[in-house]
Amino acid sequence: MSGLPPTTSVKRWFVTTNHKDVGILYTITALFFLLFGGVMALLIRLQLWDPTSQILSGLAYNEAVTAHGLIMVFWFLSPFAFGFANYFVPLQIGADDLAFPRLNALSYWLYLGSGILLAISFFQGGTLSAGWTIYAPLNVPMYTPSIGSTGAVLALAMFVTGTTASTVNFLTSIHHSRAEGMGIMDMPMFTWSMLATVWMMLFAFAALLAVGLILAADRVLGSVYFSATEGGSLLWGHLFWFFGHPEVYIVFFPALGVMLELFQTFSGRRLVGRKWVIISICLISVQSFLVWMHHMFLTTINLEIKTLMMATTIGISLPFDLVVFALIYTLIKGRIQFTTPFLFAFGALLLFILGGITGVFLGAIVLDYEFRGTYWVVAHFHYVMFGGATALFGGAYYWFPKITGKMYDEFLGKLHFVIFFIGFNAVYFSMFLGWETPRRVFEYNPEFQIYHQFGTIGAFVLGLSFFIMFYNFAKSYVSGEPAGDNPWDYSRTAEWAVSSPPPLENWPNRPSYASGKLEFVKDYVPDGGPAMKTDDNGDVATDGGDSHSAHISEYPYWDKHPSHASIWPFALAVALGVTLFGFSGFADAVTVELGETALQSNVVISNAMYPIAIVAGMVGLLYTGVKWGLEDFYAPPSEFAERWPFNGVEKVKLGMWFFLASDVIVFGAFLSAAIFVRYNAGWMTWSPLTESLPGLINTFVLITSSFTVILALVAARRKSRQGLLATLGATILLGFTFMAIKLWEWNHEIFDRGVTISANAHGDPIQASIYYVTTGLHGIHVLLGLVIAIFLFVRAYQGHYLDDERPIEYFGLYWHFVDIVWVFIFPLFYLF
Amino acid sequence: MIDPVILQQGSDWRAQAEIFDEIFFVFLALGTLVGTIVVAYTLWNVYKYRDDGDRSDEEFDAPVVGELPTGQGGPKAKKLFLSFGLSAIVVISLVVYAYGLLLYVEQGPDTGDEGDIEIMVEGYQYGWAYEYPNGHTERGELIVPADQRIDLNITSRDVWHNFGSSDLRIKSDAIPGDHSETWFAVSSEDVEAQGGEATYRVECFELCGAGHSAMKGQITVIPQDEWEEWYASTGNSSESAGNSSNIAAPGVGAVASGGVSA
Repeated sequence: MSGLPPTTSVKRWFVTTNHKDVGILYTITALFFLLFGGVMALLIRLQLWDPTSQILSGLAYNEAVTAHGLIMVFWFLSPFAFGFANYFVPLQIGADDLAFPRLNALSYWLYLGSGILLAISFFQGGTLSAGWTIYAPLNVPMYTPSIGSTGAVLALAMFVTGTTASTVNFLTSIHHSRAEGMGIMDMPMFTWSMLATVWMMLFAFAALLAVGLILAADRVLGSVYFSATEGGSLLWGHLFWFFGHPEVYIVFFPALGVMLELFQTFSGRRLVGRKWVIISICLISVQSFLVWMHHMFLTTINLEIKTLMMATTIGISLPFDLVVFALIYTLIKGRIQFTTPFLFAFGALLLFILGGITGVFLGAIVLDYEFRGTYWVVAHFHYVMFGGATALFGGAYYWFPKITGKMYDEFLGKLHFVIFFIGFNAVYFSMFLGWETPRRVFEYNPEFQIYHQFGTIGAFVLGLSFFIMFYNFAKSYVSGEPAGDNPWDYSRTAEWAVSSPPPLENWPNRPSYASGKLEFVKDYVPDGGPAMKTDDNGDVATDGGDSHSAHISEYPYWDKHPSHASIWPFALAVALGVTLFGFSGFADAVTVELGETALQSNVVISNAMYPIAIVAGMVGLLYTGVKWGLEDFYAPPSEFAERWPFNGVEKVKLGMWFFLASDVIVFGAFLSAAIFVRYNAGWMTWSPLTESLPGLINTFVLITSSFTVILALVAARRKSRQGLLATLGATILLGFTFMAIKLWEWNHEIFDRGVTISANAHGDPIQASIYYVTTGLHGIHVLLGLVIAIFLFVRAYQGHYLDDERPIEYFGLYWHFVDIVWVFIFPLFYLF
Repeated sequence: MIDPVILQQGSDWRAQAEIFDEIFFVFLALGTLVGTIVVAYTLWNVYKYRDDGDRSDEEFDAPVVGELPTGQGGPKAKKLFLSFGLSAIVVISLVVYAYGLLLYVEQGPDTGDEGDIEIMVEGYQYGWAYEYPNGHTERGELIVPADQRIDLNITSRDVWHNFGSSDLRIKSDAIPGDHSETWFAVSSEDVEAQGGEATYRVECFELCGAGHSAMKGQITVIPQDEWEEWYASTGNSSESAGNSSNIAAPGVGAVASGGVSA
């Protein structure tokens, strides 16, 4: 799978790992979801036309509301932005591709697959109907029993998995592949915004993944987290909004980045207070994690915490003030060109100002008390999030010539903007006027009918305006004027320095900013060795610079050409999709009848389709995973690059650290959930369900296995195949010992003590749920580690890893992490 | 917009609606003012500095492709911090002002000798049940006296609801296993103005299932003497006392008993 077919071949789009191809796939797919979510929106608006007669039932309306929110927030806004990020971040930082091209393709296929799962969920007895905020306990099967509800939750989990992969990829790319001379403060503003976005995503989406997994456990396996009255509802609120508030900035920042670029390009002026804008962006990213309870002012949180959250909320509005003023002052004394991209970016600023001002209202708690759950909130966040997305449409017009090589039609573009802007304000400003209407209610007070009818008309105008854009892009792609490399007068960033569209590997020679501006330098590449810098005469320069770290030479195949094609990302996503489809119907299709012992228990299968899908999907996952590991896919790191603050950290290791950081949050959320619920139930009323001895033995087993992994790395470095096999083998054996003890323990709990995931003969059922789900998540990590360890063992047996021991090292990082997590689990579930 | 309603009970009582209206008015006025100034200033400058092709080139330092980005400093940066400082002052003073009134809303007015009436509110799919201090329960309609502070202790029997009345400007989450509180008071002038019986619409403000839209209720305020008569007639003989609902009450603890706290 080394060759990449031409763009006209269908096959190319299934195997491509090139960041530009993946970017195009993201953008087009996201536009489909815009239509999907848009149709849902129009259904909502039709329902609101008349509060006394409806076209949808209450349940169907709730499904439309939920799907609209989920699709627009997850399947449209972020992926649309990530389409541009995929395409242009590598170009803006002077990289050949993202750090992990296959992982990038996997992210896309997981995104598409999760969207398909969501679409399927409509036909599984109806999709989720609990709102996009999915509040507990409406989200548990007792209140939303359809299989499709579970399907939608699992689709979300799959989406988040892909997002996490994407986050790790962008973080590694931006921190590891910036062209020589491009310090972190020298990055273009769009890239800066994306960097802040992915940093927030790393932690926020991990929290969402955790809460999604817990919900999936409730829905598929029967745990009782969110139906527990010991704080189950508030647990969802806290975990969801810990993700949910940063999410607002996660969808807004890419749009802000586009605004910052376009304001400069179409005024010919550089950004005012650039350093302070960057500092503001960083501040907002950190602060975004400290305000989540302002979504919960009306719950039972106490006045002190409310006051604190009010203060942090006001605090986070201040950096935004600075950014808005910086945007406005940038235009002054410029030569403003009212092109379509600029109109959209400028319109986005105006909409955001309105969204921001109405947001200050919500920061005052007394006002929030009344606005909570009303159309004021709906209007506000549409002005902020969709208002921000307005700039993304500007980005689409701005970069269309670069992606296609053709110019769009300026008249149609402006027409689109005018109709869009009128429609936008008609639908969302009318919401401010009728703000006393409760959210997600269609039998509203007839007093407000005039506003809602006005809004419905606006919504159709807004929706139809997009067809002008689709027509414009389609027509221009076929018969537009050639755009040339750089159609804009005052563009600055590097994507405009190459042809439209850029070549597969982006650059004619190695891009470098070492001289203070973009140049393409030619390196000297000796046979079988890493490239070396040359001076002006083409001689090898002796000054290697500290950016050329020793670890580059660890990549052994210097004459190899970078790979751009692999079918395994697609295949892996299909396998995961099938697995999750199977799990969506698991609880309905499979019943376990517990007997006296495990052997006397019965499994009754009422619908074979779902269990078959689970088995087939899991086999597929294993197969594609192994194929992925064996594939000869070459994606070397940039040889000369700026890597602050991670100088000297090898690429894959950096990616591993980022992944582990997100996993820390996942486990952190699970452990926080355990502590939160126990606190609400009365801390001292619980004592460990299990005996502590098996747990203690397992602690020693795992810690020992950490040592054997270290020894494995030592053996590989000493090129001792036998030593490597012995230590890896010992690790595997210890891992299985751990799992065996765990299995015995669970067996003992279930059949001797009557403690199952949803029932507890000795106390609160929720305590049993927490025990099984938390230790189960850890167990899955151990199991996954074992699969990897066996893969490594077989490969080591075949003689690998003696020249290049990095896979052993990175597996070790993961394994140590899993062991450390156990050190936190042990006291919480076995001792106290 | 602001017409202070003075309750008979103590002239310093202010209804939540009144406080909300005051803060909302201040925020709306300032927000409109600031928004208009900023947007007008921006539009004017964008128009002024449009590229009409006949401006002299002398001072214009056009950016070029491939330059390392730099910012603009100078007078604009000063202006930036000035505007930022001004906006910070506006925002912070607004919130500090609103915070003072929050403390009042949180605490509620002093009830004096008259005492307050604490009513347990329980949300269920899809309606509201009320339990009075004497154990009497009502569904749908909450009947309370004028000129008295009514404390609501709100919870839910099944899923997360939100009890709210837009007219009274009160709202609180109804969370299973948890109790939240709010209060309101309606003056007898208001009751008389509505013809001796003031009614207020109650709605659910949190998505709670297929019947969420139709989950309505009503608060009826009647003169105190009428109410006392009615209340005495409920006695302890409420036919629908306790949780005798036919709606499933899964996993929800018993409703805490209410009581008059003087």
